Amino acid sequence: MSFSLNEVEAMAKRAARGAGHTWGQAEEASKATRWLCAQGVDGVSVLAEVLKHGPSQGCPLGLGVALSDEAAALVEGPKQLGRVRQPEMVLPFAAMAARQLGKVVQLSCDTAKATTDGCALLVTGTLPDDVENLTISVVTADLHGATHATRAIPSTEAWSFLSELAHLTYAPATEESRRLGAGAGLSDND
Amino acid sequence: MANRRPAETVMHLSRLGSLHQCRLSFMRQLTRRMAREHWTFSRGVFDINDAGVGHAVYTAQGPDHAYSLVAFSHDLPPEMRSDRVIATAWDATFTLFDGVPTEDDIARLEKNIPLQEAGRVTQSELSVSRANRSVRLWDHFVERLSQGHQPDIEKVEAVGYLMRTTAVYGSGKLGAADREIIANRPEMHAPFQAEMLSVFLTRWFVRDLVNHMAKARGGEKAVPLTSDIAGRLGIGNSTGLGMAPYIINHPVLFNNWMAAREEAIARVRSVAKADDDKIAEFKSVLARSLKSIERWTSEHPIQIDKLAALSQDMDHLQSHLSNTDLSDPTPWGSLMVWAAGALSEEGQELLASLILEPYGELVDDLGATMADETPDAFIIDGTMPVGNVRALIEDTFGWALSLDWSEEQNCAGAWYVSEEKLEPRLGNRFEEPIADFEQPLAPARDAAAAHHDLSQWASEAEVSTFLAKHPEHRHTIRRAQISNRVPYSEIRSNTIAADMLPIDMLRAKLSFFGATHFDPRSDRWVRICMYSGAPYPSELTSANADMWVYPEVTA
Repeated sequence: MSFSLNEVEAMAKRAARGAGHTWGQAEEASKATRWLCAQGVDGVSVLAEVLKHGPSQGCPLGLGVALSDEAAALVEGPKQLGRVRQPEMVLPFAAMAARQLGKVVQLSCDTAKATTDGCALLVTGTLPDDVENLTISVVTADLHGATHATRAIPSTEAWSFLSELAHLTYAPATEESRRLGAGAGLSDND
Repeated sequence: MANRRPAETVMHLSRLGSLHQCRLSFMRQLTRRMAREHWTFSRGVFDINDAGVGHAVYTAQGPDHAYSLVAFSHDLPPEMRSDRVIATAWDATFTLFDGVPTEDDIARLEKNIPLQEAGRVTQSELSVSRANRSVRLWDHFVERLSQGHQPDIEKVEAVGYLMRTTAVYGSGKLGAADREIIANRPEMHAPFQAEMLSVFLTRWFVRDLVNHMAKARGGEKAVPLTSDIAGRLGIGNSTGLGMAPYIINHPVLFNNWMAAREEAIARVRSVAKADDDKIAEFKSVLARSLKSIERWTSEHPIQIDKLAALSQDMDHLQSHLSNTDLSDPTPWGSLMVWAAGALSEEGQELLASLILEPYGELVDDLGATMADETPDAFIIDGTMPVGNVRALIEDTFGWALSLDWSEEQNCAGAWYVSEEKLEPRLGNRFEEPIADFEQPLAPARDAAAAHHDLSQWASEAEVSTFLAKHPEHRHTIRRAQISNRVPYSEIRSNTIAADMLPIDMLRAKLSFFGATHFDPRSDRWVRICMYSGAPYPSELTSANADMWVYPEVTA
């Protein structure tokens, strides 16, 4: 099934929150997932893998957020992120860094290089699910011809997993909440 | 940039809950544009049986794009009719289709649109909505028209619409096209234009349907609705809590709406001298506005009090104007200064909207600034010193820092999403088990908490180091930095106070749509009227495209 990117964003935010991330990080996770989907990557599946592990060591959301927050330092030299799980999830944050700096940012490991100016993305090789060391650097490169997907067609399994996590953020309905929560008040059928 | 009113004056919930439509409202931007660009309108299909069941297609053709309202009409048992989001069936369901639908499209939509949230749409659809009949008015209309008579005008005035929408979903909801797909089209650039167009066309459909049903009942005896009464009818709308968090969740966008209106007010306030024709225009629109206020009724005690105050305000305003020479220097500025000391917030905000009316050439360009085109305002600047972040929070939420946030009156409210309908709800954290599910919709409380922790850090430390230690404050730091870019991003009231009124948040948003006659049905949902007095699509001209919101006054 195809989803709008706004649906992806809304689902990703709730799922990340349901998985135990803070609201601020969940907001970031949702934008990041959307960005990946717009690049034609199944961001929903990437996020699902990330959230299976929770906010632990090597979590690309925590590392990604820090990468974006400390983007200014990248101009002084490459940054080693160390071990990273699902390094694809670092890409949207590298893109945020690139847009802040107005420069091209590259992620590299033994088997792959991914380059972005914040808008376009070029990946050569294959990013593994788990890398021992991920290096981030500012490079000079000419990226052009960015084409963006306007829909996401995520794996059904990953979407279901995110839905389950999102569900954890919903308050179970009680008689009281039905009565008060939306404030019935005066008649609605006249 | 003229001198705008400061956010600490404008952004209180009580004032936001007193806002009125103005020239920049999204409905009026749309009707002005469609008239200016000579849009054409056609009814391609009207395939509805005598029981009122079937579908119809109405197409609006602009310079570069066509948009079609596809309407499905149903025979709804009365016991299933509810405006609440928990409803599962409606009198009519709609989608705004991007282009002109084929028969295959209609067949696909027929399987999904009547289901609303339980259906799926595609990138070809721009909105999904539904409407219920006003039971009070619908039967009366059909009966009278079927017998060859026009409906009772007093009944028309008491209700104002034959159908009210109970949700209009856009921006990618239920699988529809994301806003980004249409936002670069000039006619869709201002906010909510697809939704406003869908309601504009829905009003046409409703007139056709009531005429059709009267004809089905009365045959040769039946007469169509006169254009005078049809013109008075708007489309009602019931809006509940689901919409309230919107203005908190979109701080830049909401700023842009407020900033556009405040800039417009400031520009007119600084007009050095008012020409006679501008003064005459203002007085005329004031008289027409008084007529609109006369027709505005509510059963809700809060709104009854506000309307009484507004009525007094209008008396004060008229007597003040009879002693005021508007050809004196900066007359609108002086009038607004007087109003700030003499009128209720309802009256002040109505006046602020009215002084814009004669000055379209001065303010209408601001309509184009109301979209949010800065998605990267989301990105946190990690290099900002902690001291600066603290100062930003103090600027916006200084009043919140000394509140005791454990006091029940200050924190009883908790916003949550219900498992049942996946819609925002507001509960009491001391009475219901909802605190663990709380949504981040209390920016003032969260700012106070972040400020407390920021105070333990050296002023010159970079906020990125603070965030590495305190990820729980990340959403608050983001908002603080947004408030540094744009002045009207934050509500300067406590959104979880025990006595907070969600209807104030609803009205703030709906006033920008261009809604009138706000009628709260509780502290959490409100009915409004849209397009009352507007020309129908086939009658739209530059002469009637704008001021329809104010009823004509006959001498």
